[in-house]
Amino acid sequence: MNNSEVGPTTVKEPDVDGAVDTDRPWIVLVWNDPINLMSYVTLVLQKLFGYSLEKATALMLDVHHKGRAVVSNGTRERAELDVYRLHEHGLWATMQREDA
Amino acid sequence: MARKHKGPIRPLGKGEYSMHLELSDKEALISLLDQLRDSLMNGSTDENLKRLFPTAYHQDPKHDEEYQRLMRDDLLASRLQSLGTATSVLSRESVDDTTVLTAQELDEFARSINNLRLVIGTVLDIDESDIDVDLDEDDPNDQRLVLYGYLGWLLDWAVTAQLDEYS
Repeated sequence: MNNSEVGPTTVKEPDVDGAVDTDRPWIVLVWNDPINLMSYVTLVLQKLFGYSLEKATALMLDVHHKGRAVVSNGTRERAELDVYRLHEHGLWATMQREDA
Repeated sequence: MARKHKGPIRPLGKGEYSMHLELSDKEALISLLDQLRDSLMNGSTDENLKRLFPTAYHQDPKHDEEYQRLMRDDLLASRLQSLGTATSVLSRESVDDTTVLTAQELDEFARSINNLRLVIGTVLDIDESDIDVDLDEDDPNDQRLVLYGYLGWLLDWAVTAQLDEYS
């Protein structure tokens, strides 16, 4: 969208909740499921996030033993992209605010 | 560390891989991929496909509805693209049942095999205790379990073939 366009004359009140949301980091979780192979989950984490084999394996084991692991964090937009890419690869990923 | 690759999928170097599968296996896989593609293209609401479209905001149904509205079509298109690539690779003319594929093709092939596992695993209601079971050849679910195991074996070799690239 071009910012120089003339906009509507109605002034929209700022979305206070939205403004707060953008300041609060989001986390992306991968959840344990009995179908995905452990080796596959490890490889996907390496591919998508550039993690070392050691870090990806540790995260995968957290998923397997603790039921879930935080695999990335950042803005809401970043988290949505990460969730989408994980879903593309068949992993069970969700996102939430870090302090939720 | 270099790995020994004795499975059906092996790295050739320079971002290429070889895949050695018998014609009957390729035909069976193509049939399964076609069935899954048809289900996805027909907009099936089959519960067994639910793992292909997971929840993104598990604590927030309203945001999840919005996310699904915006992203589901992209995810569907991505899955169809991968299924098409996998079918294309399996249909490709091969020498001695061996096909050469690129890293991108192997990635999409692996995703498609995993998609099949997600659906069949959902049909079977797989849980962690289903690893070692006595099979009955006449039981349709046990035949699916054999297929599920085969797909897992194939996917594991696809992963192994790519490990050196990411280690």
